[in-house]
Amino acid sequence: MCGIVGYIGPRNAAEVVIKGLKKLEYRGYDSFGIAVSSDQISILKKGGRIQESFFNLNELNSGLVIGHTRWATHGIPNDTNAHPHSDCSNNIALVHNGIIENFLSLREDLLIRGHIFKSDTDTEVIVHLIEEFYNGDLLYAVRDVIPLLQGSFAILVIAKGEKRIIAARYKSPLVLGIGDGEVIAGSDVTPILDYTPDVIFLEDGDLVSIRAEGVVIENSHVIIERLVTCVDWSREDARKGGFDHFMQKEIFEQASVFSQAIRSVDYEALKTILSGVKEITVVGCGTSYHAGMIFRYLTEEFARIPVRVEFASEFKYSPPPLHGLLIALTQSGETADTLAAVEIAKNYECTTLAITNVLGSSITRVAKNTLFMRAGPEVSVAATKSFIAELAVLFCITDCLSEGELRTQSLDSAHKAIEDALLIDIDPAVDLLKNAGTVFFVGRGWYYPVSLEGALKLKEISYIHAESYAAGEMKHGPFALLSEETPVVAICVEGPTYSVMISNIKEVKARRAPVIAIGNKGDTDLCAVADVVVTIPDTPRVIQILTITVILQLLAYRTAVALGRDIDRPRNLAKSVTVE
Amino acid sequence: MTQAVVLAAGEGRRLRPLTHARPKALIPVANRPIIEYVIESLVKNGIRDITVVVGYRKEQVMRYLNTLDISLNIVIQDKQLGTAHALGCAASSINDRFLLLPGDNYIDYDSIARIKSENNAVLVKENPQPSNFGVVIQKGEYIERIDEKPEIAESFIVSTGIFSLMPSFLDAIRCGTDIPEAISCFIDGGASIRAIPAKDWMDAVYPWDLLTMNEKLITKVSPSRAGIFHRTSIIQGQVRVGKRTKIGPGAVIRGPVIIGEDCNIGPYCCIEPGTSIGDRVSIEPYTFVKDAIIMDSVSIGSHSRIVRSIIGEGCILLDHTSTVSRANMIEIEGKLLKPEFGTILGDSVCSAPFTTFHNCIIGNRTVVEVPGRSLYHMVPDDSRVV
Repeated sequence: MCGIVGYIGPRNAAEVVIKGLKKLEYRGYDSFGIAVSSDQISILKKGGRIQESFFNLNELNSGLVIGHTRWATHGIPNDTNAHPHSDCSNNIALVHNGIIENFLSLREDLLIRGHIFKSDTDTEVIVHLIEEFYNGDLLYAVRDVIPLLQGSFAILVIAKGEKRIIAARYKSPLVLGIGDGEVIAGSDVTPILDYTPDVIFLEDGDLVSIRAEGVVIENSHVIIERLVTCVDWSREDARKGGFDHFMQKEIFEQASVFSQAIRSVDYEALKTILSGVKEITVVGCGTSYHAGMIFRYLTEEFARIPVRVEFASEFKYSPPPLHGLLIALTQSGETADTLAAVEIAKNYECTTLAITNVLGSSITRVAKNTLFMRAGPEVSVAATKSFIAELAVLFCITDCLSEGELRTQSLDSAHKAIEDALLIDIDPAVDLLKNAGTVFFVGRGWYYPVSLEGALKLKEISYIHAESYAAGEMKHGPFALLSEETPVVAICVEGPTYSVMISNIKEVKARRAPVIAIGNKGDTDLCAVADVVVTIPDTPRVIQILTITVILQLLAYRTAVALGRDIDRPRNLAKSVTVE
Repeated sequence: MTQAVVLAAGEGRRLRPLTHARPKALIPVANRPIIEYVIESLVKNGIRDITVVVGYRKEQVMRYLNTLDISLNIVIQDKQLGTAHALGCAASSINDRFLLLPGDNYIDYDSIARIKSENNAVLVKENPQPSNFGVVIQKGEYIERIDEKPEIAESFIVSTGIFSLMPSFLDAIRCGTDIPEAISCFIDGGASIRAIPAKDWMDAVYPWDLLTMNEKLITKVSPSRAGIFHRTSIIQGQVRVGKRTKIGPGAVIRGPVIIGEDCNIGPYCCIEPGTSIGDRVSIEPYTFVKDAIIMDSVSIGSHSRIVRSIIGEGCILLDHTSTVSRANMIEIEGKLLKPEFGTILGDSVCSAPFTTFHNCIIGNRTVVEVPGRSLYHMVPDDSRVV
């Protein structure tokens, strides 16, 4: 996906837009550009990460600018494929977030009509189509073009001689910030909050004429009013505040994120949604899928209700006959596969419940019910606090289904437990991992998805190949890969899985792989077999899920720091995957 | 433009067990961390260029500072090697006259106003226990020297640890590990430091000092009734109640009292003046609380009496808990003291019904397993009372 920003008002628009693009960098960062409207439209764009030095702000004195930061889907990242794109006469400029699925046939038509294409992107067809229909009024032209487009788009368009931005939204997010004599448009609220907390979340089909004095929104040819919401994320939430990386800041926020998420769940509303539920399906991608797996173990144990967990992307290939409840987990609320899964579920007799972090996101319109994680913006691409927040909400659901069984495991002690876990010294473990080429993570029971998540984090940010196995599965093949060069991280804490894990670790050691074990204090047996032992604080069993998760996140983070990786923006990844 | 350097890297060891889970600067007094009062006094005096040096539990401090409206410079002191070293870590951001203050002492707006335009000065105050601090020996209005924690104090005037210094002071910090040593060096090198009387300054050296601090600071709290009050509850005086807090039928709250958010004060409870209650605290019916600091997520059982005490975060005290306020002999870090207080409980202490705490300090995570026990003196962390 990409990030788009537009500004119209009295400030130096280029400065506002460039700052805004930097805030949206987590949505895509392989090329960037802006279009400045003064006497004519000037486009400045380049491949690579955003460099503020590329722009000479003193010379860009305009109150009307649109900008784009890209995560390439069609066309390699380079200067020509970067947005904004313009028409043949350079009188119209446009930025786009989304994919135009029928762009090839549109492009052929336009080529026949004599248009000249400069780039390989799908976006460029939109601006040439607008050129075709343009007769002095940009709004009319865009209105005529929109029905011809198939796919998804959030676009901002400007034209020479017109002091306004035309915006349109269909299946890609777009938010307008209404300030005092100024309007900022953005793919989400983060670039907007520095200027105003009052925002309008646009809906699919909206077409907007944005002027400095205000906006006029129409949908299906009718002028409408949209609700102005006040966003309570503070601007400090989106700043690092003394931490080296956003990921570090977000890892350390998890104690309060967990307790806040638990407290913000409306139990009464939850009881209504869950009444009579006899089976549950959970869909999610990546980290969210792991949260779903943990939920499955807990709900089946405490509430005795069958749960199935599916990758959202696989869901469409074998849709099960659905009754009961479908829970969709997505931090951004925009993950394409998860959205599609909810759409499929609605065709069966399924109640749908979304758990997300972003107000006004697409999933909130598609699912029947929504619970918010309230974790504040997660800027780092790797999910950390959103995972903990998802677990918090899911724990509440399990608690509700099990009629309070889970609470007696005292979720209230989680805050302190997470705080204590964050301070544990893991340097000996980091030293072992940072030189490894492959790392295995093993766990049993509900620690198996915890180890899956640990492996994912290590992969994502340190680029070390890491895989996770349910400990019992290692012997059925993966053992062949073990050697002195493949460290194994084993979760071996007290509980029903303890004794068999100790034996597993002994078997791993017999193959000479170094072992890092996560265990309880005073476990001398474990210290005798493992090379490095990381001890977690004493807590109820369920809370151990949280403390071990946090330790594995820190392990991945510190290893990546030791290797000098670009932590908040890992290579080849985007924050929210809005393509299939 | 006057800058400020706030030292918040230390633990505050003499306040254990309370400083296990938070540095002294973040201990809540009248429901606000001590460092918040320091920053507020600076900001109200128009000082915007503030550097905070963090160390012990730095991520926790940074997270807290990020919630404030003002943007601060954060400097990390990796190893706690003394206050002079801490200032040294921040040296690169100092380019003008600067105020140097500890982040864990209360200081009011007027005191800062008196010192902020002085070139080299220190705020001083009379204190009845001068051997806990740095005693100031003056020559006229300038200081001759500061005697740190002397056995025999030559006067009752002590240094508050709050200085206004010129950048030339930074050369002297290599002289020793602590600021007072550096100050002596600075004076020996020819500098003249004026002694300016402070107005309101409070340093909690020991845990019970926090109760005195709480008593004074709670009077500055502005009343608010954001919670849900039963119509038969009685609220008198300066009372501040946070959002979603429920005050049950027949409860009596006499101010000055501050109660946080999401609390549940049960029917017929009496919350008496001088009490600060944090967030998510649950107090069962018929409980009497007076002159106390109750931290977040605490649960107090019914028919309990909590007087002149500090209850750490996450404590679960079952019914009929009693605190008996006495002044017994106690030894902390080699010093013999006789403070009067009920009890100081660390975090996550769990006690069975009918437990009585007599003038005792109870370590973190202590569990009193059997009902009817009486506890005295000092109990270490992670104890089990059987």
